[in-house]
Amino acid sequence: MEYYSSNLIEEYLRTRKIPSTACSGCGLGMNHKVVIQAFKELGLKTADIIWGTSIGCAGRQTFATFKGDGFAGTHGRAYAIARGLRIALPPEKKIVLSVGDGDAFGIGLMHLIHSARVNADITVIVHDNLGYQSTGGQFGFTTPMGVKTDSSPYGMFEPNLMSEGMDVMHILKGAGATFLARHVVLADGAMAVESVKKAILNRGFSLVHMPHPCVTNFAMKHLGSRVPVEIFRWFKERTAPLGQEKPNTIWATGIWHDASNTRPEFSEVMWGATEKIRRTGAL
Amino acid sequence: MKRFLETGNFAIAEAAIIAGCRFFAGYPITPATELAESMSLRLPQVDGVYLQAEDECAAMHLCIGAALGGMKAMTATSGPGFILYADPFGWALGCEMPMVVLNSGRVGPVSGITGAPGQGEFYNTRYPTQGGNYESVVLAPNSAQEAMAMVIEAFYLSERLRMPVTVLADQLITDGWEDISIPETEEEMKEMGMRFWPRKFHPGPDFYPATDALDIPPVQMGKNTGGLCSDWTPTEQGYDIEEVEDHHKHAYRLIYKVRNNRELFAHHYEKKYMDDDPDLVVVSYGTPSRVVNTAVGRARSQGMKVGSLRLINLWPFPDEHFTRKAKYLAVELNWDGQLVREIQRAVPKDSDVHFLGICGDLPTNQDLLETFDKILKNQPLQRKGWEMEAW
Repeated sequence: MEYYSSNLIEEYLRTRKIPSTACSGCGLGMNHKVVIQAFKELGLKTADIIWGTSIGCAGRQTFATFKGDGFAGTHGRAYAIARGLRIALPPEKKIVLSVGDGDAFGIGLMHLIHSARVNADITVIVHDNLGYQSTGGQFGFTTPMGVKTDSSPYGMFEPNLMSEGMDVMHILKGAGATFLARHVVLADGAMAVESVKKAILNRGFSLVHMPHPCVTNFAMKHLGSRVPVEIFRWFKERTAPLGQEKPNTIWATGIWHDASNTRPEFSEVMWGATEKIRRTGAL
Repeated sequence: MKRFLETGNFAIAEAAIIAGCRFFAGYPITPATELAESMSLRLPQVDGVYLQAEDECAAMHLCIGAALGGMKAMTATSGPGFILYADPFGWALGCEMPMVVLNSGRVGPVSGITGAPGQGEFYNTRYPTQGGNYESVVLAPNSAQEAMAMVIEAFYLSERLRMPVTVLADQLITDGWEDISIPETEEEMKEMGMRFWPRKFHPGPDFYPATDALDIPPVQMGKNTGGLCSDWTPTEQGYDIEEVEDHHKHAYRLIYKVRNNRELFAHHYEKKYMDDDPDLVVVSYGTPSRVVNTAVGRARSQGMKVGSLRLINLWPFPDEHFTRKAKYLAVELNWDGQLVREIQRAVPKDSDVHFLGICGDLPTNQDLLETFDKILKNQPLQRKGWEMEAW
C-alpha cells in the first residue's frame, strides 16, 4: 500500500476508507486533500476536530474518512445539528462540515443562513459538483446556465443562485457569515489551503465554496466525454481569480469576505447570557 | 415539593429540568408555545440553553446536535410541527440518540383548529418517520400533573433504551391550568414514583451491537474516540455499508430493544371497575379518559357492568389488555377512529368493538352513558350528525 502511505493519510484518515468510493477522475479527492492539508498546516490533531458530513457525493464519500469523531446528518440538516453540537462542545473543538452543493444551497440553505446569522463557529466546506450527481446527474442551484443535465435536457434555464449576476456568497455575506471564500482546487489549490486555514481560524461561521468536476455524470451529459482532462479543461477555462474575471468566468476565486473574529460567536453569546442570567437573574 | 396552580406547559418545563434536560429547541406553535416560553425563562437559570429554531425540522436537529455533544435535550410541538420532525426523528431513531419529544394534539388535519384538543396523531407517533424497521415508545398522560411525571419518565426511558421517546398530550393538558405538585429533590422524585437516569458516555467505536440490551450509552462527539454516527447502516465499526445483512442486525436492535424490554414501561396504564370482567370495556387515553372514568363510575351506579381501561403507554400497543372476549368501546378525540383500529386488531376474534369520536371538545357524560347503554343492549349506535359512528 505504498501509494497511500503519505503522512497526511496516516495522521488524519481511516485507511479502511481508502481508496475512496468516489468515481475515478472525480475532483472531490483534491478538495478533500486541501482540507486535510489545512489541518496539518494548522497543527490540528484529530482530537481537535469533529468531522460532519451529509448526503450526496460529498457527504457519502467523505463520511468516516476522518480518523476522529464524525457524524453524517440527514440531507441539508448538518448545519442545524452542528449548531446544537456547538452549544454542547467546548469552544476549542473545531466543527468542520464536508458537504455538497445540493445539501448546502438547496435543501439546507435555510439552516445554512441561520447558522451564518448567529455566527456559529462552524467551517463549512461545500464540495460543489454542480448538481445532484449521486442520483444520476440532475441540475442544482449552482449549475451554470445552458448546461445540459438529466433534468435540464434543453440546457439549464431556470434562474439559480449563480445566474443573472447573483451569487450565493452575497446571500451568505448578507446573512452574517464572517469568512467566505471560493476556490477551484485544480486552478488554485495552494490558495484554497490558505483559505481553509483562515476559515478554521475564524471563530465564527466560515464557508469555503469549492466547485469541482464530476466526470461521470456532469461531464458525460454536458461535454459528452468521461475523459477527465476534458472536464478539467472546461473548468479551468471558466475559473479566474477575483478581480481578473473574463467574460466567460463562472467561478471567481479567492477570499470573498473576511470579517474573521469581528462578530461575537454563537455559543459564546448563548453561554455568556446563560452564565449572567444564572448569576444575576437578568442580562 | 412545590405546589402550583399552573398550565401543563409550565409543569412539563419543570419536569424536563428535574430530569436533567439542559437544552431545549423549539418553534412557537399553539398549544405548545408556553412550554418553549417557560424553557426560555427557566433554562438559563439552571445553566441550560434555549434555542428558537428556524422551523421544527431544525429544532429537532438542534436537539440531535446537543445530544451528540452529551446533553439531555427536548423539543415540543403540535401536529403541524410534528410532521416536520419526521426527518430528524428517523436520524435520532437510527443513531439511537436519546431525547424527549412532546406532541400536544390539536384538531387536524393541517392547521385545523389550534386552540382545541384533538387526538389525530395516534398512528403518527407510532410512525413518526419513514422507512419502518423501528419500534416507537409513546406515553400519553391525561393531566398536567401526569404530563410532568411522564416527561420525567420519558427522559428515563430514552436514556435506557437509547432512543427518542414521545409524550403525546393534547391541548387541554398543555394549555389547561391545574393543581400541580413538583418534586424538588431526588428523594421527592422517588417518593412520587419518578425515575431518573443520567446521561452516560460510550467510548465506542463498536457501539452498534445487534442486541436488545438496555443501558448502552449513546455515541458522543468530542471525546476523540473515533465515534461515528450516520444516517446509513451502522456496522460494528461504525462505517456505512449497504449490506442487507448488516442492516437487518441494525433493524433487529431498533425493534427488539423496545419489544423485549416492555416491562420497563408496560405498567403505565390505569384500570377502573375492571376486576369483575365487565361486559363493556371503555378504552381511552389523554383527557377524554377523565370524562370516561366519571361516566363509567356513574354507569356502575346505574347498574351497567362497565369498566374503564386508560392507556398511558400507547406504543408499543399493549395487546395484553385485550385478551378477553368482551364488548369494547374506544373513545377518542377524532372523527376517523384510530385507537379503535388497534383495539380491533388486538381483541379476540368476533369481539364487539365500537367507536365514539368527538373532536375539538370532550365527550359529555350523557353522550357516554347513552352509548354504554345502547352497546350493552345491543342496540345500534345512534348517529348524531356524523360524530358517532358504529364501527
